[in-house]
Amino acid sequence: MPLYALRVSLSHLSFRIPELLSISQLFGFEIKFVSSDKFRSVLVVELEKDEHVERILDRGMMVMSAIKLYASGGSYEELHADLRAHKEYLEPHMDQSWKITFESINHNVTEKRQRETIDTFEWTGLRGPIRLKNPEVEFVIYEDYTFLTEGTHDRDFRLRRDGNFDRVYFGSRIGFGRARPLLNTHSVKTRAYYGNTSMDAEMGFIMTSQTLAAPGKIIYDPFVGTGSLLYAAAHWGAYVIGSDIDGRQIRGKAKGKETVPGVFRAAEQYGVSNQFLDCLVYDVTQSPLRRGGWIDAIITDPPYGVRAGAKRTGKGKSHKKPLLEEPHLLPDGTYSHTREDYVPPFRPYELTNLMLDLILLARYLLVPKGRLVFFLPTVTEEYEAIDIPVVEGMRELKVGEGSVENFGKWGRRLITMEKTATDDGPPPTFEDHPDYADFEKSQERAPGHYQFRDRYFESFKPRVGKVADEVREESEASSASQGPA
Amino acid sequence: MVRLITHNMLTCHVRNCTKDNFPLVFSDVELVVREAPENLDFIRRFLPKLDWAALVDTARSLGDESLPGTQPEEFTDEQLRALHHVLMEMHVEEGKMTCRGCGHIYHISNGIPNMLLAEHEVGR
Repeated sequence: MPLYALRVSLSHLSFRIPELLSISQLFGFEIKFVSSDKFRSVLVVELEKDEHVERILDRGMMVMSAIKLYASGGSYEELHADLRAHKEYLEPHMDQSWKITFESINHNVTEKRQRETIDTFEWTGLRGPIRLKNPEVEFVIYEDYTFLTEGTHDRDFRLRRDGNFDRVYFGSRIGFGRARPLLNTHSVKTRAYYGNTSMDAEMGFIMTSQTLAAPGKIIYDPFVGTGSLLYAAAHWGAYVIGSDIDGRQIRGKAKGKETVPGVFRAAEQYGVSNQFLDCLVYDVTQSPLRRGGWIDAIITDPPYGVRAGAKRTGKGKSHKKPLLEEPHLLPDGTYSHTREDYVPPFRPYELTNLMLDLILLARYLLVPKGRLVFFLPTVTEEYEAIDIPVVEGMRELKVGEGSVENFGKWGRRLITMEKTATDDGPPPTFEDHPDYADFEKSQERAPGHYQFRDRYFESFKPRVGKVADEVREESEASSASQGPA
Repeated sequence: MVRLITHNMLTCHVRNCTKDNFPLVFSDVELVVREAPENLDFIRRFLPKLDWAALVDTARSLGDESLPGTQPEEFTDEQLRALHHVLMEMHVEEGKMTCRGCGHIYHISNGIPNMLLAEHEVGR
């Protein structure tokens, strides 16, 4: 099978392979990773045909350009030897108009050496005319240098480094990444509506590739917030649905009968209003959904308390009275809950409970082979693979150590799960899971995301029994009193 | 929005409300029809997930008589198009959805339904 060299962004390295695998699964082709180091700026892959690399250029958020690979080497001698041994690759191009583009990666090469390098390809005997504008074939040289953060400002250092690339590649251009410009068109900065919980455009698209979003699929975000994860899915043609306990996030500040809710304004800006089936206000633990087995993917960035705390309807430790059994009659003879500004009481939703519930919900709502994609925030030092709750009928799809965005003491892991069960099963009950009642009192170790919000505001200092309890109660009391309206 | 495809998936979820809790009944409705590109394959695939009787009743309550009372075994393209119109193009922008069982009223404003439960209605 032919080889292709992809020029790939060095951002979000641990998300690279999962994204490429998801693209290959979505379009049903095979991809083999040939590079021994998969995390350099050039990634060599084996694909059956050019059409498959076009799909990668369509959808790969981190792919900048792609060439059909004819030869490579640790030096130009090796490269030329490799190319002489495979002269058949050049056969179809011998009479075409052509040009050679020189691209050095993580380093700048002087124009003089670029010209000299291009001249060394004279032996190939290309018969076609050179044409710098719209040639029939564009040959490309990639010189791949190691990315350095230090020393590159020093001219002498740069000159000494010139030519000491890791590897050089030669091939013909297939095309440029067509998905990457979406980072600009969908940038939160220019979005018609966003909030402090909006996911940045690049990560939104990277997450979305894990859902295998495509026309005719239904993708659901149960903690939709300002909708930032749905724009990417809608862009790829999926129908999207969002729900949130806090309608203010969906609507935005503007009020009145003729106002268009914020999420729909941004959808309009991106031309995907028709993909937005609906956004609804409800508590996912008190869900009005009638049945399971009809959602193709769930994508969500659950609230973990730093910018927005997770809440569910009910009463917690900070409430003095238990939940009312009967509606409350106001002095004016109306019931409190029929008033327009009525808001039920909320209590905190502990992240360990939420995570397990989310997987149980996916087990119920997803179609067989449907996917659940979410971020799991964890205290870096305490994370272990067993922190992902095990649910019958759901399995984690993991590449290597998984995809992590590391912020130092904490990080967020992108978890992708697939529904292996073929039935819907019963709807989740959303009861507090007794296993998670109190890790301090039990001998068991708490998952790395347990009480994440409190840990964040404590700067992740190690936890010791009693002090930790007090800290938690305080913050619980303060967060519960700021319920959404 | 509230499109009828979503409405067909929604039931009253008030505690102990298990009878006549589906479908929710529209009233005081402000209906807007917005053309949407057809994806009849999607409609065909979604058919088994629908509750046909509830969909027909709801569409008729909103003045659309295009759907047959009993679900056809084989859909013609024309019938699928009618279904596409009902499911995807009819938007309830303002109004109420009422549960026939417990009487809970879910309000829709600016196309967004508020389906939060009141304190005494929450499951426990």
